[in-house]
Amino acid sequence: MSATRTGLSAALRHRRLAAVLWFSLLASALVTWRPIKALFAAFDEGAFREALVRGWDGWGILSFMVARGPEVGVAAASVTVALIVFALLQIFLTGGVLRVLIDGKPRPVFARVIAESAGLFKANLWATGRFALAVLFWGGLLVAAPVALLGKLAKDAPPHTFVPELRFWWGLVIGAIVLLNVGLRFDLARIALARGDARNARGAYRVAKQRLAGRRASGIRILLFWLALGAAVQVIFTSAGLQMNPHTNGAVAGLFVFRQAGFFLLAMVRVGFWAALLVWEERRGPGYSVIGSASGGTTWKSSEEMATSAAVSARPETGSSVTTNGSALLSS
Amino acid sequence: MKQFAFTAAVTLVLGFPAAALEAPRKIVDYDIKVSLDPETKLVEGAETLKWTNPSDVPVGELRFHLYWNAFRNDRSTFFKESGGQLRGDKADTGKGWGYTDVTSMKWEGAELVKGARFESPDDGNPDDRTVLVVPLPRPVAPGETATLAIAWKAKVPKVYARAGYVRDFFMFGQWFPQIGVYEPKGRRRRTDSGWNCHQYHANSEFYADWGDYKVAITLPEKFVVGSAGALVDTKTAGGKKTLTFEQKSIHNFAFTADPRYVVVEDAFDPAKDIPKDEIARASKVLGRSEADLLAGFHKVALRLYRQPEHGAFDRRHLEAQKWALAWTGLWAFPYPYAQISIVDTPEDGMGATGMEYETIYTTLSFTWMARWPFNRLFLPETVTIHEFTHGYWMGLLASNEFEESWMDEGINTFTEFVMVDRKYGAYLELPPGIGIKSEESSRVSALTQDHDPILANSWKYATENSYGRNSYPQPGTTIQQIRVLLGEEAFWRAFRGYAERWRFDHPTSEDFLDAMRAPGNPHVAALIPKTWYGRGWVDFAILDARTSADDGFTGFDDTDKPVNFDPDPKKKPKKKLDEKKHKGPWQSLVVVSRDGDIEMPARVVLTFKDGQKVNREWDGATGWIKYRVTSSSPLVKAEVDPERRTVLDRNPWNNARYTKKYEGPSAAAKGRTYALHLVEILLSTLWGVL
Repeated sequence: MSATRTGLSAALRHRRLAAVLWFSLLASALVTWRPIKALFAAFDEGAFREALVRGWDGWGILSFMVARGPEVGVAAASVTVALIVFALLQIFLTGGVLRVLIDGKPRPVFARVIAESAGLFKANLWATGRFALAVLFWGGLLVAAPVALLGKLAKDAPPHTFVPELRFWWGLVIGAIVLLNVGLRFDLARIALARGDARNARGAYRVAKQRLAGRRASGIRILLFWLALGAAVQVIFTSAGLQMNPHTNGAVAGLFVFRQAGFFLLAMVRVGFWAALLVWEERRGPGYSVIGSASGGTTWKSSEEMATSAAVSARPETGSSVTTNGSALLSS
Repeated sequence: MKQFAFTAAVTLVLGFPAAALEAPRKIVDYDIKVSLDPETKLVEGAETLKWTNPSDVPVGELRFHLYWNAFRNDRSTFFKESGGQLRGDKADTGKGWGYTDVTSMKWEGAELVKGARFESPDDGNPDDRTVLVVPLPRPVAPGETATLAIAWKAKVPKVYARAGYVRDFFMFGQWFPQIGVYEPKGRRRRTDSGWNCHQYHANSEFYADWGDYKVAITLPEKFVVGSAGALVDTKTAGGKKTLTFEQKSIHNFAFTADPRYVVVEDAFDPAKDIPKDEIARASKVLGRSEADLLAGFHKVALRLYRQPEHGAFDRRHLEAQKWALAWTGLWAFPYPYAQISIVDTPEDGMGATGMEYETIYTTLSFTWMARWPFNRLFLPETVTIHEFTHGYWMGLLASNEFEESWMDEGINTFTEFVMVDRKYGAYLELPPGIGIKSEESSRVSALTQDHDPILANSWKYATENSYGRNSYPQPGTTIQQIRVLLGEEAFWRAFRGYAERWRFDHPTSEDFLDAMRAPGNPHVAALIPKTWYGRGWVDFAILDARTSADDGFTGFDDTDKPVNFDPDPKKKPKKKLDEKKHKGPWQSLVVVSRDGDIEMPARVVLTFKDGQKVNREWDGATGWIKYRVTSSSPLVKAEVDPERRTVLDRNPWNNARYTKKYEGPSAAAKGRTYALHLVEILLSTLWGVL
């Protein structure tokens, strides 16, 4: 089975896992609830109530932004807090999510994700720090510096001629490539931590480097596929949500449920991505070798030595009870 | 010129005409030869200026604007006021400085430069070099024409404020030694004759006399040149070319040069380009026949000088230009010139963008604006319409932008949003039905705290923001307020009357305001001093709206008999009325207020649960008014000014209040739901990284 198909089937199978991710999204967003509630209370007290129930009112919204400037500022600040909370939650949850996927058992999930995440949090936090440094380093070296250099070269060039265009596209394309590469290695490092292939972030990054050697393109393809799928889900649900323009309180509740369904689907895409990447990584691990191919699929064989070694050397660091080396996911 | 001298003399005797002019009174005549070295950015120029004293007094000195000296150094008034940045563009303080030096000025064989001096009439800045005062060996007599031979050299500044260069793009605006305006007694309601020649300020534009221009420009052959005039001659020699342009009856001359320009030629054809429904509408509102309105329209040559990468904007700019020609022709008067040059500035030359000169203006395009969803932002069209229409409120009605910037920017903001909203429906329009009207985007700027009246010298506003607010959106919105108060017919007839009366002339604020007062609306008359000469504001609000069931008389009557209650303290008090079962009557109280010092009338609408509405007209003369209503159904909503006729209302949100009896759907719930989803969308993007 291909990594993509495995990912899709895991997304469907691990709905509870997706629910955990969706809940983390909603919970983080709810950090903004009090400021949002206070801000929008004015909608029911003012002259634009009925117009806004019917739909968009440009003058109403513009004048609202001016009349309620301070409250808008507080709401915007709360969004920043929500972003930080959500980022920390994702760093925390990823370890647990990966462990559950590796284990392959779709339930129970919530308590296990929390327990496994807690064990891996410190290492994942270090890995995130390293990811941030890598983005700064490679982004600076391969994007910012060439863009600055091209900017100097393009100083006297008319806009949209070769050098300015090269500068723009370099920043965009190379920036994306850097982000994908650094991101993929970060993801693989977290997988290494979850599998117990490494004790700490440094070791995990080393393992990730081995996995990536000579196979970056296929890894990035997986990343791009799931990013595109996520973007498609987002666009479809956002567009439909705007089109709904509910006129009754019941319809507003319906809109809320509909949009949460969209975010849940997005969380499923996230689960699918991790499952696909696990399979991809598993097939490229040094402990696995191709032993044959049958009925259109490829069969892989795990290395007992590798699994044992990992269990002995890495497990105590995480405090986890999971001892799988990934075969569970493949067999699921 | 003799003919002019006669005309001037007649004017002196008869005073200024009360009626509209058929052509401008020409005070100046320029014959300019200029050469540009694009490598060094140096300019050499020579001009023959014929200036006629339009007053009834002798003039013993001349005053000239040397605008590019604003960019001479960081001591100039312009630089001090702007801090070296204007409208988001920064001065290049490395090698971007520029200047103008008059090297010779001769009159009747006498060299005048030796006795010349710089003056700073506005702020006394001893380092400002933008006004040159030239004493004369003898006064110029009333009606006499002085012919001066002037030579100058200049360096083009790096563009950040209208004029200048970026790479090989040049925008020459206010570039030659230009004589100031000697205002005769009576012009712009002056009580005595005198010079009106202000320094170049960060927040000011220009003012000049009408005249004819002949300009010969010499520069390398590779350059494409667009100008305020018609090309009458081309000569080439030694890799250079000299292009001669002529334009009559203008009060400034600008040109642009860039080897990269692609010239797109088109024409405005009244037979095709004036929408039929707009003609019918104008005819009905203005009370004139269609034939009368269409008289004076003629074909106008359009030349778009655009950057090679902006081909996607050709149609957008040209359509906007044609619409503006049609609209202004119908609602003001037909454009009198034969051509228009539209300059699409390069994306790295934004300092030159959005600037108007007569028969030539600069507009903007960004390649990203050609792509969805940014192509639904009608900014290029808006800038084209805005800058062209300056040609009316600054150009054809030659107001003094130093002293009355609102007369150009404010009236222009008003006509811009009328045109943009009529043509495009909105300034920004995104599916599904999310849009902002141009009028709204202007009006929103007028909602905040104000520090100045509309009318002030452009350099005397409290801040740059206050200049911007009181020159653009505040007067634009206040004119819209007058439009609402007068009604369509009275307003547009007064508006067109003002435009026609002051065409080719120099109106002042009171001329426009008189036109608005003429229909005799007392609220307009009261509004003008509060806004143009004061910081007046207005805010309607529903302070209180409540309703309660009326279960009749309760208490002791005149015979001390208890009614509807039992005075026996041992007995339980009567149960409160169950309002849900109450069939009526209901007592309601509504308190409406008008805060601020602008008195405006407003309608108050009380809506009851059974759908009935009660309308009350309130003159707004007092600070508040109370309404007590007995009704068969409970009050659910009270609203003041539901049609939003008070466009100056500083807080439209407090114009309505709902009682607890209102059972309609909640806009707050909808707003919160969409806001929460927006936050979730934002957060979930982190899934792409973390």
